[in-house]
Amino acid sequence: MKKYLRLFKIEGKLALRGVDSIFFGVGMPVAIMLLIGIICGQKPAYEGATYSFLEGSFGALTTVGICATAFMGIPLTLADYRDKKILKHFFVTPVSPLMLLLVQVSINALLSVISTLLVAWVSVIGFGYEMQGSLGQFVGAYFLVLFSMYSLGMLIASVCRNIKVANVVCSIVYFPMLFLSGATIPYEIFPKGLQRIADFMPLTQGIKLLKGFSLGLPIDDLITPILVMMITIVIGVVGSITLFKWE
Amino acid sequence: MQYGIEVSQLTKKYGEKTVVSNLSFAVKKGEVFGLLGHNGAGKSTTIDCLLGLKASDKGESKILGLNPKKKRKELFEKVGVQLQASSYQASIRVGELCEEIAALYKQPADYKKLLEQFKLNTFEKQPVDKLSGGERQKLSVLLALLSQPEVVFLDELTTGLDVAARREVWEILRGLKNQGLTIFLTSHYMDEVEALCDYICLIKEGKEVVSGTVQEVVAQSPCEQLEEAYLWYMSEEVTL
Repeated sequence: MKKYLRLFKIEGKLALRGVDSIFFGVGMPVAIMLLIGIICGQKPAYEGATYSFLEGSFGALTTVGICATAFMGIPLTLADYRDKKILKHFFVTPVSPLMLLLVQVSINALLSVISTLLVAWVSVIGFGYEMQGSLGQFVGAYFLVLFSMYSLGMLIASVCRNIKVANVVCSIVYFPMLFLSGATIPYEIFPKGLQRIADFMPLTQGIKLLKGFSLGLPIDDLITPILVMMITIVIGVVGSITLFKWE
Repeated sequence: MQYGIEVSQLTKKYGEKTVVSNLSFAVKKGEVFGLLGHNGAGKSTTIDCLLGLKASDKGESKILGLNPKKKRKELFEKVGVQLQASSYQASIRVGELCEEIAALYKQPADYKKLLEQFKLNTFEKQPVDKLSGGERQKLSVLLALLSQPEVVFLDELTTGLDVAARREVWEILRGLKNQGLTIFLTSHYMDEVEALCDYICLIKEGKEVVSGTVQEVVAQSPCEQLEEAYLWYMSEEVTL
């Protein structure tokens, strides 16, 4: 535990000194929230919708910070350490891959939670947002999404040789998910075929939950999203520990 | 257990090229062993294989009787390693780096004392990036000693150090040797080898050319100085 806390403290300081993690993890989600709020916050989500665009997007917007930290923060840091032989240094100490991964996960989770709190604050103060549904369920779903995205980030972090490879892999995983999952463009306006493809992505499933819980709408299928995300977590965590490359 | 390091018939290939060939040696506890050879002779690859960083194609190695592949965490509580050409996290400070590495061990050395010993204490708050080459090299040796190791690997330990700094490092290592530390080192400086090593092994293209104490190795050549003897062995056609 002492080991973990020391690493957390020092690696955390390093993350704060590198401005990009703050910019993408915290600044960007807040900026997107501001933009959406200003442009179309009070309009109905679609014609005849009972909730506003902002209310409909709130759940999805909280995942922007999760994804930025999951697919940039964690993999880029560790791939960079691998490339610069910093992991080789860690190999010749008694530290485990899991510990190194967990430290990065915790730092980024903290950033992500701060970013979500800021997004919520901006939407409440700036645009009069009020959550219709259950906050408790929403928070539960939020952490499920967070852990499923982070486990994918850990997997990428464990295998990518350097920052360039990690960047490419993350872009391939991150951007389609970001655009298709409903995190930025509402899922409802997609054609049916595209919706079906998007359904395979754990983020889409997670956002369905977040959206349902935040709007207080009945969710007809609770099992699929939870199952999809749980499976993602297991694959990601087991994969990242067994495939972890020091060099 | 008598030996700090045992290696038998270590062989490593990169594709078709054999980089380390049938290398065997053993280092007794408390001894200083030097692995010598030109750049690209296979010294760093040998170290990587010994530590379990790279898988060897043949042969076995044990450190403190432990297989580094199977007992990595247990082993590196007691073994310190300085790797060639180290780089560290961007913007990390000297004190932070020491604190971080020390935190990984159950019984770390007091890094503040080591910083003083290495005359690096004034740099504690400085970013590692801003250190001179020599200071950074000293820091990398210091980091290898943070675990209070029983065995330490030092790959080109004093490259880039000035004359005075080299002697300081030698003094520190001699002191630790007297307390029973086993040292495995590589070096291109023959005066350093003479000053520190009990036993040396010269390799060329991954093969052993000669091994023994410094005196033995010099005596088996027509030369009188280690440096001349080294060059003589290296220019000899090796038929093994």
